[in-house]
Amino acid sequence: MANFFPRWTNLLPLKVAVCLGALGAGVVAGITYYATPEAQRVGYQPTQPIHFDHSIHVGQNGMDCRYCHSFVEHSGHANVPSANTCWNCHEHVKKGSPKLAGLRSAMAVDENHVPLKDSAGNLLKGEPIQWVRVHKAPDYVYFNHSAHLNRGISCISCHGDVQNMEKVHHAESHSMGWCLDCHRAPEKHLRPLEEVYNLDYDPIEYLKENAVIDSEGLIVGKGEQITEPEQFGKFLRAHWGVQPKESCATCHR
Amino acid sequence: MSKRVWNPPVTPSGEEATTAWRSVGEKEGSKSFRNVLEREFPQGDALTEEEQGVSRRNFTKLMGASTALAGLGLVSCRRPESYIVPYKKAPEWIIPGKPLFYASTRPVAGGAVPLVVTTHEGRPTKLEPNPDHPDSAGTCAQTQASVLDLYSPSRSQKILKAGKEATQSELKEALAALDLSKTALVFGEDDSPTRNRLAKGLAGKGATLISYEAVSGEPLQKGISHLVDFSKASRILSLDCDFLSTDPVGNSREYSKKRQGGNAEYDQKDDVDADKMNRLYQVETQFSLTGGLADHRLRVAPSRVAVVAAAIAQAFGLGGADASAEDKEAFFPGADDAAKTFKEWVEACKADLEKAGANALVLAGSRQSKEVKQFAAAINAKLKSTAIKPVKTDLGQYGSLADLTAKLESGEVKNVIFMTPSNPVFDADGFAAALDKAEVSIHWGLRNDATSWACDWHVPAAHYLESWSDARSETGVLSLIQPLILPLYGGITEIDFLHVLGGGNFAKGEFFPAMGEVKTTFAEITGKSDDESWRVALMEGFAADTSYSAGQLDAGSPTFTASPAPSIENLEVVFATDASILDGRFIDNAWLQESPDPITKLTWDNAAQISPQTAKDLGIYERVVSLEPNTPLMKVGGKVKVSKRYETGEGEGNHSPMILLKVNERELKVPVLIAYGHADNAITLPVGYGQAADDERAGSVAFDQKTPAVGHVGKNTGFNAYHLRTLETPYFATGAKIETTDEDYPVALTQEHNSMYGRAIAREISTDTLKGKGTFAEQKKKVKKQGMDSHAPPNISLYKPEGSDNWSKTELAAKTHLADEVHQWGMAIDLNTCTGCNACLVACQAENNIPVVGKDQVAMGREMHWIRMDRYFASQEYKYEGGHKVKDESGNKIENPAWVTQNPESIPQPVACVQCEMAPCETVCPVNATVHTEEGLNSMAYNRCIGTRYCANNCPYKARRFNFFDYNKRNPLIKGNLYKGPLGEKQVGEAPSLQRNPNVTVRMRGVMEKCTYCVQRLESAKIKQKQQVKVNTYSSGKKSYEVKVDRIADLRVKKDSVKTACQDACPTSAISFGNLLENDSKVVRAKGNVLDSVKIIKGDDYEEVPGSPRNYDLLQYINTRPRTSYLARVKNPNPDMPDSKYLGQATINIH
Repeated sequence: MANFFPRWTNLLPLKVAVCLGALGAGVVAGITYYATPEAQRVGYQPTQPIHFDHSIHVGQNGMDCRYCHSFVEHSGHANVPSANTCWNCHEHVKKGSPKLAGLRSAMAVDENHVPLKDSAGNLLKGEPIQWVRVHKAPDYVYFNHSAHLNRGISCISCHGDVQNMEKVHHAESHSMGWCLDCHRAPEKHLRPLEEVYNLDYDPIEYLKENAVIDSEGLIVGKGEQITEPEQFGKFLRAHWGVQPKESCATCHR
Repeated sequence: MSKRVWNPPVTPSGEEATTAWRSVGEKEGSKSFRNVLEREFPQGDALTEEEQGVSRRNFTKLMGASTALAGLGLVSCRRPESYIVPYKKAPEWIIPGKPLFYASTRPVAGGAVPLVVTTHEGRPTKLEPNPDHPDSAGTCAQTQASVLDLYSPSRSQKILKAGKEATQSELKEALAALDLSKTALVFGEDDSPTRNRLAKGLAGKGATLISYEAVSGEPLQKGISHLVDFSKASRILSLDCDFLSTDPVGNSREYSKKRQGGNAEYDQKDDVDADKMNRLYQVETQFSLTGGLADHRLRVAPSRVAVVAAAIAQAFGLGGADASAEDKEAFFPGADDAAKTFKEWVEACKADLEKAGANALVLAGSRQSKEVKQFAAAINAKLKSTAIKPVKTDLGQYGSLADLTAKLESGEVKNVIFMTPSNPVFDADGFAAALDKAEVSIHWGLRNDATSWACDWHVPAAHYLESWSDARSETGVLSLIQPLILPLYGGITEIDFLHVLGGGNFAKGEFFPAMGEVKTTFAEITGKSDDESWRVALMEGFAADTSYSAGQLDAGSPTFTASPAPSIENLEVVFATDASILDGRFIDNAWLQESPDPITKLTWDNAAQISPQTAKDLGIYERVVSLEPNTPLMKVGGKVKVSKRYETGEGEGNHSPMILLKVNERELKVPVLIAYGHADNAITLPVGYGQAADDERAGSVAFDQKTPAVGHVGKNTGFNAYHLRTLETPYFATGAKIETTDEDYPVALTQEHNSMYGRAIAREISTDTLKGKGTFAEQKKKVKKQGMDSHAPPNISLYKPEGSDNWSKTELAAKTHLADEVHQWGMAIDLNTCTGCNACLVACQAENNIPVVGKDQVAMGREMHWIRMDRYFASQEYKYEGGHKVKDESGNKIENPAWVTQNPESIPQPVACVQCEMAPCETVCPVNATVHTEEGLNSMAYNRCIGTRYCANNCPYKARRFNFFDYNKRNPLIKGNLYKGPLGEKQVGEAPSLQRNPNVTVRMRGVMEKCTYCVQRLESAKIKQKQQVKVNTYSSGKKSYEVKVDRIADLRVKKDSVKTACQDACPTSAISFGNLLENDSKVVRAKGNVLDSVKIIKGDDYEEVPGSPRNYDLLQYINTRPRTSYLARVKNPNPDMPDSKYLGQATINIH
C-alpha cells in the first residue's frame, strides 16, 4: 500500500504545534502588554468640547493651577472650573472667538455677549460644559488630591508636563503598582511646598538659589548644606515625617 | 511557649447559677439552634450531595459556554467616554468632594431632635446629633432612618383631588373657598412656635385646632408638660414609662451619666461609685429597653400598674389601696408568701425613694391611666422632687380627636385639614365614619396613606429636611429647621401651607414664605430682629436662652378602684408602640422595617407576645417549640431530611403559630412569639403594621391598586393591631381571649443568627455584695476573669519586641509588624449604659451604604447589618449557694421560685467587627482582600474580594456579612426577584442612591463586608490634619523646608475629635472610640492601654493606663486580641428588695 500521507506531512504536526505555541505566546504577550494601564491609559487624548490649551494658559500666561482647579488643596477632588470661572476673563478676552462658542452657549450669550432669550422673551439658562474625563480612578479608589499637594507632591508627578500640553493627555499609567512605587519612595517626587504648583521647578536650580542646611544631620552631616536633588528629596521626607501608607484602607474603603 | 490546650468550653464552676438564652430554641436546647451554632454559614448555602453533583456538572457546562462567548464580547472593548460636568455658576460654599454641615432639627412628638446634617453636593446623606444644643442626646433609630424617607420613591408626589392629579392653583382656590369657622386643623404633637402662631391666627378666624398622634396619651392637665432632669434623679420609679425608647422623657445622656456613678468620663480611680449611681425600679408588662436597664423590674399586666402604683401610694400615706391577695399571687408566682414578698417590694421601694427625698423621681407612662399619673404626681409632690417640674406649653392646649369627632357629628365642623404624621382613618377606631360627614377634607402628608385616600384632597408634604420650620425641644429651646434641599417631589412645607390658608402665596422660585414666618417667630420669641442674630441661630440650630416657662400642675386626687385581675380567660392586650415604625408612620422605611425589634428581634412584621407561662397555659408553648426548624446537620454522603423550607424554597426558616385573638368583640389572627419577662395573662401587640396586603392574609387591610395605602416596602408586612383597638381602650384592653389555630406564619427573627460559641460574652456585676462573688470592689476586679478567661493561659503576642526570644535580627523580620506610631484605633462599648436601641445599627447603615435584604433573606440569616444587636436573657434557674447548686436529698437541683425564673434580666450587646490584632480572618483569605493596616484596623479591600467566605467561616465573632445577591441593585422586596439574577427587577427609583455616602464603596454581589471603624472618617480626619500642617508651615513665615514636621505632635488627629457613626448616634454615650496611643483620650481612660502593640510602639515612653476594671475582651481566651472591648454592666440593686440576691449575675454563658 502506497503511503497515504505525502512525505511533507511528516513535519506538519510539529509545525502546527510550533505555530500554535507562537500564537499562544503572542496572545499572552499581547495581553500582558496591551491589557495594562500603561498601554490602555497613557496617551489617551480625547477631544474636548472647548479647545482649552494648557500651554497658553499655564505655559505662556503663567497662570497658577489653582486659579481654575481652585479646591485642589482643600478637597479630594481636583475640581474642573465652573463656566463662570472661564467667563471672568473671557467676558473681556477673545470676545467673539469661534473657539469659545462652547463657553458662550454655557453662559447663554451670543457672539456679542448679548444674553440669549427664548421665543417668549425669557432669559435662557445655558447648559454646563461637558468636559471629557481624561484621568479616571475606578470607583473603589479614593484618591485625595489635597493629601498629596499639601505634603509636597506636585501636579506634575501624576499629570505630566501639563504646562506644555496643547491638548491634555494621560501622561502616567495611574496603575496601582505605579501608585505604590511612589508610596514606597516618595523622595523622588517631594519638593518644597512653595514649588508644588511651579511646573517648571528644577531642584538643582532651587538648591543653588536656596541654601538648604541639614541642621539635624538627617541625610548629610550635621549642619551641612544639601546640594544633590536626591539628597533633597530624602531630606524633605525625613524632615517632614512623610511616611506614605501602603495598606489597602489608605485608598480603598 | 506554653502549650495551648483547646478544650471545648465548659461552664466554670461558680458561674453555673445563671442560665442565659436568647430564644426559645436556645432555652429548650432545640436541635436547630445547635445547627445554627455549628454551621459555618447562614442557612441555605450548603448544598446536599445530590445538588452538588448536578451543580458541578452544570457549572462546567456553563463555564465552557461562557468562555466561548467571552471572545465575542471583547470586540467592542473600547474605553467608554465619561464626562466631568462642573457647575455653570458655582454656588457659594460648595466644594466638590467635601461635605457641608448644617444645623437643623427633627420635630418629634413632645420634643425635637437637634441635628447636624451632612450634605454632599447638596444631598443630605447623614444625620448626627447637634452637640452644642442644650437638649442634645444622640439620635434614635427613627431619626437616623428619616433621611431615607426623604428619598423614598413611595413618597407622595402629586396634589390629588378626589384621587386625580390637580394643580397648585386649584388647591389654592379650594383653600381660599374654605369657611375657616367651620374648619378644623389636626396637627401632630410636636411643638412648633411658628405653626402655633399661624394656627392661632387661623383660630382667630374661627378655625378649630386639634392635635393628634396615635400612640400618645392624654396629659394630666392640658397645656402642662413635665421637664425631667435625670442629673438630679438618684432613685427612679417608672410606672410603665419606657423613657429611654418609645415613651421618651428627659435626656438619655443625662440618665446614662448618672448611671455611671460619677465615672461617665472614665476618670475616676475606683470606676463606678455605687453611691453616686442611680437606681431604677420599673413596673411594666413587656420588656422595654428601659426595663432591660432597670435594677428591679416587676412584671405586671397593664391594668395592674395602677394597682402597684396605688400600693406604693398607700405606703406613702397618699390614699391608694393595697393590692388584692390574688394580684400579689400573680406578681410573685411560686413565692412562699406572695403577700409578704410584695409588701417587702413595696416597702423597700418606698423607703429607698423616701431616703432619696428631693432626688427621687416617679415617672408614669404617658399612655397609662389617669390614676397612675396622679399617683406618680402625688409621690413626686410629697417627696418635693427636684428632678421633675411642670412647664407650660402651647401645643397641649389644642383639642383632641374625640372633640373633633363630636364636632363633626354635630355639624359644628364641616371641613377638616389633616397635618398630623399619624393616620387617623387607619389608627383611630371609628374615625373614618365621622370623616364621612365632612364636606371638604384635606390631607397634607408625606405618604398616600389610608387617611389621604379617604380625603377629598391630598397635598404632598415637604420632608423636614426640605422645610423651613421650627420646633421646641423638650426643655422648650427654640430649635430651627432649615431646608437642606429643595423639595424633591414638589412637596409643600407645613408653614407654607398654613401661610396659604391664611391668604398668602405658595413658595415659588426664590420666594420662601415659610422662611419669613419662621424669622418673624424667632424675632418675637428672642426679641432680636437683626440679621446677625438670625444667622447665628441658624448656624447653631437653636436660639440660646429660650425655654418653656414654669407651670403649675393641678394633678387632682386619684379616684382608684381596682379592676378585676386578668386571668387566662380574661387576658389583657397592650397596643404597644412599635420600636421600629412607631405608630405605623415609618411603615415604608426599609431600614426601620429591617432593624430587628430590640426585644423580640423580629423584623418586617409584628407579632403578639406572651409569657412562656401563659403560652404553656394556652397550649401554645409546645407548638412553638415543635415549629422550630429541625434540619439535621448537613452530612456528606447521607440523605438529608429536609424540614419545612422557607418560602423561597431555600433554607429553613422560623415559623410561628397563628393565634386568634379576640377582644373588644373583634378578632384578629396574628402570629405569636414567646416573650421572656412578659407579664402573665397579658399580650403585647405592637401597632402600625398591616396597612395594606395583597397576599390574602387575614388581619391586614386589603391592598387596593387604585388607592395604594403603602409603598412597595410596607406592603404585606404584619397585622393590623388597630383593628382591635377602640377609643375606650387606647392603650390596653381587657377581657381578651386566645384561640389556637393550626396555621403558622413565617417570621424573620434574627435572634439566633450569628451566634457566638463562647463564654462570658456579656458580663454583669452587682453593687450589692453577692454570696460567693464578694463585694462590689471584688466583683469589679474579677470582671476580666469571668468565664473561660479564669483559666486561659496568658496570651502570647506575635508582635516581636526587640530582645525577646523570637526576635529576629534580619531587617525583614523587624518590619513584620508595621505599626504606626501616630494612630492606633480602639473602641470600648459600655454595657452599663447600652440600652440596645438600634440607633447605632441604623446609623451604621446610613454611613456605610449597607443594603436592605428583605424579609426572605433575613429569615435565612443574611441580614447585612454590620452591627449585630444581641439581646440575652438570663435568670437564676436553680438555688445556688457558696459557688454550688443546692441539691435536695435525692440529688436533684432545686429550682428557684417561678417569680425569679420567669423574670429574667435582659442584656443587650452590640457586636461589630472587633478589629482583632491577630485576626483569624486575615490568615485564611487567599487573595489578601482583608489585611491589617498599620493603624490596627482589619481592613477590607472590596474590589479584591473574590467571595470565598473563608474569612466569615473563621471569624469567631461572626461579624462578617456576605452579599449573597446584588442587594443594592436588585429589589429584594419582590418575592423571588433576587433569584432571577440580571433578569430581576431593579431597585425602585434612582432617588435612594442619592442618600449613599460617596466615600464608601457600594458593594456588589459576591463580596464580603464588615465594620472598619468608619475608616473613611479616619482617613478624612488625617488628611484634614495634614492640611493644617501646611497652613502652619505657611503661617510660620519660613521656607517650607525649614519647618520640621513632627509626626506625633503635628500629624496626630486632635484628641477625641474623630467619631464613628455608631458612637456619634448613641443616645447614651455608651461607645468610646479613639487613639490608643493617647493616654488621656476617652477610649484609653475606658479600656486602658495594656496592649502589647501599644507597649512596643511606645517603647520607653510607655506609661501604663489600666482603664476601667470592668473592661474585658470578648472571647479573650482564643487570643484574637480584639481592639474593641466591652465594659461589664453594673446592677445597682436595693439589698432590701426580695429579688436583690438574684440580680447582677447575668453574665452570659451560652454553650
